[in-house]
Amino acid sequence: MRLIWLALLVLSLPVSAREDMSAKAWLENMSQALRTQEFKMSLIHLQSDHIRPLVYIHGQVEEQEVAFLEHLNGPPKNAVRVGNTVTFIEHDQPAYSVEADRIQGVLPPAFANNISLLEQGYQFVLGGRSRLAGRPSQLVRIIANDDNRYSYQVWLDMDTYLPLRYDMLNLDKQLLEQILVVELIVLEEAPTILHEAYKQQWPPVMPQPKREPGNNWQFSWLPSGFTMILKDSHRLIGSHEAVEYIALSDGLTHISVYVARAPETVLPDELMTRNGLSLATERVGNAEVVAVGKAPVETLSRIAKSITIE
Amino acid sequence: MDKLGQEWVSAAVDGEVEEQVLAELAADTDSHGQWRDYHMIGDAMRGELPKMVDLDLSANIAAAIEAEPTIIAPKRVEPAQTAPARKSAGIIPMFKQFGQYAIAASVALVAVVGVQNYNQTSELDSSPLPVLNTRPLVGSASPVSLQTGPVQKNQSFTNEQVMEQRHRINTYIQDHMLQQRLNNSVNIDDNSDISPIPVNH
Repeated sequence: MRLIWLALLVLSLPVSAREDMSAKAWLENMSQALRTQEFKMSLIHLQSDHIRPLVYIHGQVEEQEVAFLEHLNGPPKNAVRVGNTVTFIEHDQPAYSVEADRIQGVLPPAFANNISLLEQGYQFVLGGRSRLAGRPSQLVRIIANDDNRYSYQVWLDMDTYLPLRYDMLNLDKQLLEQILVVELIVLEEAPTILHEAYKQQWPPVMPQPKREPGNNWQFSWLPSGFTMILKDSHRLIGSHEAVEYIALSDGLTHISVYVARAPETVLPDELMTRNGLSLATERVGNAEVVAVGKAPVETLSRIAKSITIE
Repeated sequence: MDKLGQEWVSAAVDGEVEEQVLAELAADTDSHGQWRDYHMIGDAMRGELPKMVDLDLSANIAAAIEAEPTIIAPKRVEPAQTAPARKSAGIIPMFKQFGQYAIAASVALVAVVGVQNYNQTSELDSSPLPVLNTRPLVGSASPVSLQTGPVQKNQSFTNEQVMEQRHRINTYIQDHMLQQRLNNSVNIDDNSDISPIPVNH
């Protein structure tokens, strides 16, 4: 009997430590877990008109992070990350590698990054507990400080801190996108597929397309927390149209702003897709400013209107 | 039925035979009339006869029992069976038709999306950077669902112009997605020299 009480006490200690944890601490633990833990996740990516089942395997081989993402439905479409190189293996073209520290797509790369970077645009609030993928989990809301961006919520496994569900919500709290883990397997060591991926000779990192320095674009207004992370001029894939390009980000939301010579066919002023991606166009003289990103279209429109050149 | 048998029946009426024998007797329909008669005789001897004697009561009861299920069952079952059958006959085809329309509509949608995707890939193949597939690994540029803008202007567009417009929207969205892949390694704090100027609010 005394042993049982002792066992209960031991069990309750870490739990009570978790009770005191702040929402930010939960997210920081998630960030660390995503970088260091070895696990296999089966997950479903939901958008308004798409459901995609995926498998994500993450581990460490010789102190290097190795990850593998596989699409289970449709033509083969995989991505492998070894260290800071991500190789995309897709059925309709030869494999190619880019330099990146996360595989784009599964979860926002910011989740595995420094969480403090998100504090300018978002507040972290602890929510309730629920059960996901057969595991108890803790809800952490990532609430936008203003109406210029979407909010997020993420459920974290109480055991490993790995995310079990991720929602992106629009301003009306309607679901735009969801990633739902259906099975999480915590591994003792990196599985053989990751060892093979590590040994495999992947194509060398593609030389970055030449980035010509763009004009000195500035914005008279940006939502708080957004910064310019990149400026260049390049040609659009497919149409070869020369554009000036500015990348904006607040950590979670990424917005691309393009300035191009106004063509004959005008684009609609505002355009929204059901998965949250929006596009806003503004005509300034004979130039056309286009803002694209997963943000409310009003924000994009306002950003497009506030661009200036120095 | 011989004399001995008659005695048996008589004994049975007086409750002087065993149960098994009684069961045998019950199976013997010829003895039923005798059984009744002996009871009647016994009753008459004891002066217990009712004023009116229904000589064939057991037969009446048997007939009533036999008639019961055949009379009651149709009364209850018939209306219950026919009514819903008529209702469902009206509803089910309607649902079926609706489902068929929905399926047809979804097939059409898939066809349209499929064509658009096909066009995109063929354009990509002819581009100078064939290695870049801008369709993201997860999350594609789904078909535009809502368009707020100069609708009246759009209506005057020719089909070609609408296609051109759609193509340009797709290029921008694809480039945006591609930039996400390429700029993935660029962190915000790497570019501290470029600072925003949030002057107005």
